[in-house]
Amino acid sequence: MRRYLRKALHEPGLSIPLMVAGMMILTSVIVSKLVLDRLAETQQTHFRQLTGAFLDGLSTALHPYLLRREPWEVYDGIDRARARYSGIESRLVLAVLSDETVLAASDPIRFPYASRAPAFSRYEPGSESLDTLEPTVWVHREIREGGARVGRLAAEIDVRQLQQVRQETLRNLILFNTTLTLIFAAVGWLVVRRTMYPLLHLSELLAQSGDGRLEPIGRPDLPPADTDVGRAYRRYNAAAQAIAEREALLHRLAEEERRALIGRYASAMAHEVNNPLGGLFNAVQMIQRHGDDREQRLKAARLIERGLMGIHNIVRATLMTWRGEADVRTLTSADVEDVRQLIASEAARREIDLDWHVAGPEEYSVPAQAFRQIALNLLLNACAATPPGGHVHCGIAASGGGLKLTVRDNGPGMPADARATLLGQEESAGAAIGLGLWSVSRLSQSLGGRIEIAGPPGATVIVEFPTRNDDLRIRAVA
Amino acid sequence: MAIQGTLSRRALLGSVTAAVLPLVRNAKAAEPLRFGLTPVFLVSDLALLAGLQRYLEAATGRGVQLVMRRTYQEITALLVSRQLDAAWICGYPFVAYRNDLSLVAVPLWKGQALYQSYLIAHRSHPARGLGDLRDTIHAFSDPDSNSGFLVTRAALAAQGEVPGDFFKRTFFTYGHRNVIRAVATGLATSGSVDGYVYEVLREVEPSLVEAAHVVARSEWLGFPPIACAARSEKTEKVAELRRALLGMHGDPTGREVLSMLKLDKFGEAEAGLYDGIARRMLEVSRLPQEKR
Repeated sequence: MRRYLRKALHEPGLSIPLMVAGMMILTSVIVSKLVLDRLAETQQTHFRQLTGAFLDGLSTALHPYLLRREPWEVYDGIDRARARYSGIESRLVLAVLSDETVLAASDPIRFPYASRAPAFSRYEPGSESLDTLEPTVWVHREIREGGARVGRLAAEIDVRQLQQVRQETLRNLILFNTTLTLIFAAVGWLVVRRTMYPLLHLSELLAQSGDGRLEPIGRPDLPPADTDVGRAYRRYNAAAQAIAEREALLHRLAEEERRALIGRYASAMAHEVNNPLGGLFNAVQMIQRHGDDREQRLKAARLIERGLMGIHNIVRATLMTWRGEADVRTLTSADVEDVRQLIASEAARREIDLDWHVAGPEEYSVPAQAFRQIALNLLLNACAATPPGGHVHCGIAASGGGLKLTVRDNGPGMPADARATLLGQEESAGAAIGLGLWSVSRLSQSLGGRIEIAGPPGATVIVEFPTRNDDLRIRAVA
Repeated sequence: MAIQGTLSRRALLGSVTAAVLPLVRNAKAAEPLRFGLTPVFLVSDLALLAGLQRYLEAATGRGVQLVMRRTYQEITALLVSRQLDAAWICGYPFVAYRNDLSLVAVPLWKGQALYQSYLIAHRSHPARGLGDLRDTIHAFSDPDSNSGFLVTRAALAAQGEVPGDFFKRTFFTYGHRNVIRAVATGLATSGSVDGYVYEVLREVEPSLVEAAHVVARSEWLGFPPIACAARSEKTEKVAELRRALLGMHGDPTGREVLSMLKLDKFGEAEAGLYDGIARRMLEVSRLPQEKR
């Protein structure tokens, strides 16, 4: 219940019309009660006056005949009075003597002259009230002469018409108030809807910014600047513009970082290429010196082949990593091996012991390019955080239908802002922390992956990749 | 001078005559005919009363005052005390005040100056005779009415009974039409009523009469007459009234009135017409005093 109440409070488009309807219903009930009470009071007063006039006239006319006990004159008087008092519909009129015998009745066959007066014709307190479900009400008048009771008149008055007026009034009130309530609720809904439109419009625009970009509101749609809505829309546009600029800046920084990485790895690659070159030159010299010796020549050729193979591997891995091709290929063990080779040289350069642990199939249903960037960035970050002589562990294993990448180092642990950046909680940290982690975060999000961070001691980053969705297209962020 | 004097006398006589004649005429007009009506008459029709008054005024050359009272007794008292010049009364008070009253004229209904008393009952009551009405509520017309009281009272007297003992309750309605209404509505189970009024109402108000049925009819009795005080019998006014009544059927307005009354005409009447009523009075008087 409280949940629904809270929800209703945050849905003004629903709660305000409901409140208006509720207020109207409450007002209607109170007004209807007042009107009906007033009507009942007026009817009762009029009824009392009318029946009073009827009984006064009748008793004045019949008094002498009641006194003389003349049934015909009394009957005649009753009969004439019933026809003449058009405002009163009397069903039955009884003239009863003091001994409770009927002197005359408007229906002499039911209540014959000299018969016992029916008990229901006797006066009872409250019997003249209109607040009854009965279609008739009995009214009474006692007739006295010189202090002695001569007899009484009792009339059964048909009050269905009065009750019908009450029912019709009630029906009309309900109809009118219901119509009014519905109109007010509808108008309330429209007014709230109209009032809430800017908020809903902003909410809709914000909902469309799933990728973090806000669509500015066009100039023709902007209300005047000196209005609340105008100010709100302009603030939104300013925020959208700031976000767009920040996004562009981040992309530019990412590009610069990428280029810086390229530079670093170009030098690393040159080093890697340079290593086999010494062996190749030695092999060439061996051929030049001992070319005639078939054994020496074949040995030199194997050296050349290994050296070229090494250069080939380095070049291929670099190409695969940095050429920025669309990531339509799935990850294979060759990609994993490329990453190992690329990071092995960095680890060696930093004198870090690389613990490489791969278990699983030859191919994973994970985009190859994205995985390579994520793994490389995390491993580079781990290497950078690990002191010389330290260890970096890389684990790649199948997990469910996807893949689990674990990178662990024994550095000082990951700073809080780096954690926030990696978990996508604080984007502004990108520039200060380095774009590598920001890229990992964005790529992982785009793949629907999940990142966990553990430590200190050291830092452990676990990225779980779900099964690749073919409809998903990864946008390169680096 | 003589001539002048003769002329003067003539002139004087002429002047006196001219002055006195209108006074005589005015004196006649100033002495209206006071004509009493009892409920024996169908007094409910104002058009009938207006027609009767118009005819009598035209026929007598006098102003006519129609005087109505609730009971026969009141009209009879006014008549006997000569406060009325004439009245349409019942045969019963005429016989009762035989020495004080004289007949002026009598209506002829269906060719004769006779009518009957009817004993009627509510249609739901299966009575076939007076004996079947014992212990019922009975409505009489008037204590001075022949058909509306005396006939039934005499019939009971012949059996040694009186209404107060025979019927459970009795009451007077002071009008024959009222007796029929009382029986028709059920206020009374039975009633004694003028047969002429009953038959006329059967024609003009059939819905009222349908609710009752005739239990018994009396013998033919003298129709209620127009009577005057015996001492007024020879007066000019009564003579004018007699002429007017006897000539009513020869006048268009008079015929209109007779038509409304469903009467043929007015005729000369003799006191012997009411011997039947006198006999009934005698039968009643034979009852012991305490029973009357």
